[in-house]
Amino acid sequence: MNETPLWASESFWKKTAIWVTAGSFLILVVLTFDSLSQTQAGGKRVPAYSVINKKIDYVYQKDLHKSMPVIGETELLFGKEYTEAEAEQLVMLGKKTTQAKNCMNCHTLLGNGAYYAPDLTKAYLDKGWVNKEMREDMMIKFLMDPEKNARTFGSNRKMPNLDITEQEAKGVVAFLKWMSSIDTNGFPYNFKTINAED
Amino acid sequence: MIEPVALKDFFITFFSAALIIMAGASYALLFAWSKVNTNPRIKIAAYFSYLVLLVAVVLLTKAANFSGYWLTLSGVMVVGYFFAPIGIWYLCVKTHAVSDTQQATLEDK
Amino acid sequence: MNAKELCEGSRANYANFITWVALDRSNLSAGRQLSVNYFIVAVILFFAQLLFGMIAATQFIFPNFLYDWLDFSVNRMVHINAMIVWMLYGFIGCVYWLLEEESGTDIVGLKLGKLAFWVLTGAVTIVVLVYLLIQTGAGKDSSLWLINEGREYIEAPRWADIGIVIVMLIFFYNVVATFSKGKWSGIAGVLTLDLVALAGLYVAGMFYMTNITHEQFWWWWVIHLWVEATWEVLVGVIMAWSLMKLLGVRRQIVTTWLYIEVALMFGSGILGLGHHYFWIGTPEYWLTIGGFFSALEPIPLVAMVVHAMYDAGSHSFKNSNHPAVAWIIAQAFGNFFGAGVWGFMHTLPQINMFTHGTQWSASHGHLAFFGAYATINIAFFYLAIQHWRGDVWMNSDTANAWRWKWALGLLNAGVVGMTVALLIAGYEQSFIERAVEGSTWGGYFSAQNHPSFQSAMVWRWFFGLMTFSGLILLIWDLLTIGKGETRKAQEIVEH
Repeated sequence: MNETPLWASESFWKKTAIWVTAGSFLILVVLTFDSLSQTQAGGKRVPAYSVINKKIDYVYQKDLHKSMPVIGETELLFGKEYTEAEAEQLVMLGKKTTQAKNCMNCHTLLGNGAYYAPDLTKAYLDKGWVNKEMREDMMIKFLMDPEKNARTFGSNRKMPNLDITEQEAKGVVAFLKWMSSIDTNGFPYNFKTINAED
Repeated sequence: MIEPVALKDFFITFFSAALIIMAGASYALLFAWSKVNTNPRIKIAAYFSYLVLLVAVVLLTKAANFSGYWLTLSGVMVVGYFFAPIGIWYLCVKTHAVSDTQQATLEDK
Repeated sequence: MNAKELCEGSRANYANFITWVALDRSNLSAGRQLSVNYFIVAVILFFAQLLFGMIAATQFIFPNFLYDWLDFSVNRMVHINAMIVWMLYGFIGCVYWLLEEESGTDIVGLKLGKLAFWVLTGAVTIVVLVYLLIQTGAGKDSSLWLINEGREYIEAPRWADIGIVIVMLIFFYNVVATFSKGKWSGIAGVLTLDLVALAGLYVAGMFYMTNITHEQFWWWWVIHLWVEATWEVLVGVIMAWSLMKLLGVRRQIVTTWLYIEVALMFGSGILGLGHHYFWIGTPEYWLTIGGFFSALEPIPLVAMVVHAMYDAGSHSFKNSNHPAVAWIIAQAFGNFFGAGVWGFMHTLPQINMFTHGTQWSASHGHLAFFGAYATINIAFFYLAIQHWRGDVWMNSDTANAWRWKWALGLLNAGVVGMTVALLIAGYEQSFIERAVEGSTWGGYFSAQNHPSFQSAMVWRWFFGLMTFSGLILLIWDLLTIGKGETRKAQEIVEH
């Protein structure tokens, strides 16, 4: 028992701890740069904000075992064609509204948040908005006065009135439309969109 | 590429994943115990735990539709959970021994 | 009754309370007096965490309860924020507790440390009041700066973020300057580097981004790398120090094993971040990385199991604080099941596709946060109160020992019960909402309205109440344990 193997010594593990930590962190930093560049708005995975001018769908691809966003022809939001800068402005207003109204502590966005209200990842494409003609109007009305236009689906849970203005509501809808176009590696699975035929 | 778990395999996926961790820990615990207590039944129980772990890994591999790269992960779990407790045990023995000898030399001085 | 009478009345009550508690601060060094300030606020916030958790749990059963007054989003935000902040208070308290003894000298910037404590506590109070009274703002930057940032766990408005960073810098200065004046050790080194990472990571969560994929990318840097890396190492440091003091384990062994644990935890935990990058828009390679490192994350736990067995076989330990050691044992089990078993059950992407964003996460979160972090803090509260009473005897045969035993039992059984109830809810939700109905809003509500989900929420409520009563008993016990005890604490010999 007098032999002190190197691999059991304090100094060996001190160095190992430092190298393992530094190495893992370095790999993380490299991957972070790669991920951020691959997910810039306007790239393949995260479309440009002006995607809100297009038809968005989410279609199951059998060979890939997952659904993929499909960006189609023009399908204007609020009957207006937005430039990239205008679209970004509107989505930004929507994003800031979702943060200031604390949406994430009832809903999930990209699956992260709280579980008291439904996921918002593909909410723009949800069948709950009946059909595409009624969708925008229903969404705006719901956001501005969720108590009167409650969508409780048989539960008693109602979204509270959060004093969302019309402009903010439009921003939120634009943000949700843009978010629904993000390639989320197939999450949520088996989602049937408002475009899908039964 | 992944193939999500089929609806019918949900339970077996959760169960086998939990079992991997619990059988792994139980194997580690019994293995370490067999080192401080010479009763041969403890060692047998340790290897039995490992056997449970093997079965659990096979179940998970099937239920979660592992293929390609993901099979490597199954292999890593099978090998890693077998050797990790052994390695850690020797590390315990040697690290404690180090300080015992150093303590002795300090006292000699 | 006018304001003056009310003021005098509460002052008299406070004086009575202090007489009843009969704690003598002169039993503590100046540094430890600062430390117990942190512990006191931690316990108050722990209480707030459970109170608002109970309100939120009630709203799952009776959605109209406090509707439009204190909505679920507000209660849930206070619930999780109080948790993060009380645990941080606990950790800071623990570090101040061991700082003087470990460095062999007095805390260098004690006055600054006290000031930082009051600034932080004042800021926390204002933030909570704004959460409760103002709640939400308009969709513009000023809301994010002044009211709340709307990002789960780090909702604190930007002004408070900056305040938190300043306070952390003061804390960091105190730690480094005190070790530099006294002596450095392995534990001191790991602690210092870990605090750099802890404070640095927080900054990653302080920016607004419209691109939600980028925003959540950095958000997870803070949340994951805190909870599954730097916090774990911080607990490792605190645990290492406690093992020396409570059980008399020799320093060199403790230090070597701290390094081993750091290597294992950071080695598996840093890239384990990948399991949060499955579905937020980030590239597919994260499925591979996240799956692989998630399978490695239980290794440090296995190492602890083996090591505990080794120690139990080779030494017979005596310890001088039974409640603290009981809570440390609870930590070992809670961490193993909460982080290890519950984590791995739903972490591989093949199944996480269905469990992500359901009550599964809540089930895992409750057991893991309690098991890994609440327990170790409570153990330290007992260590602190023992010294505050004048280093008195604190064993199983101490007066009114039933209180700490029942508090231990109620808190643990309550959290385990909630975890199981949420597990059932999550299982049902991943099944009906996700797999069968494809995650539509209709599917979400079918799962929420399902009888098994509804009854799981009722069970969760009852086990929540059990947890809450355990906490009330714990607070009573902390205030009274060791009162009137004349025996000195049991002597610990080094092994």
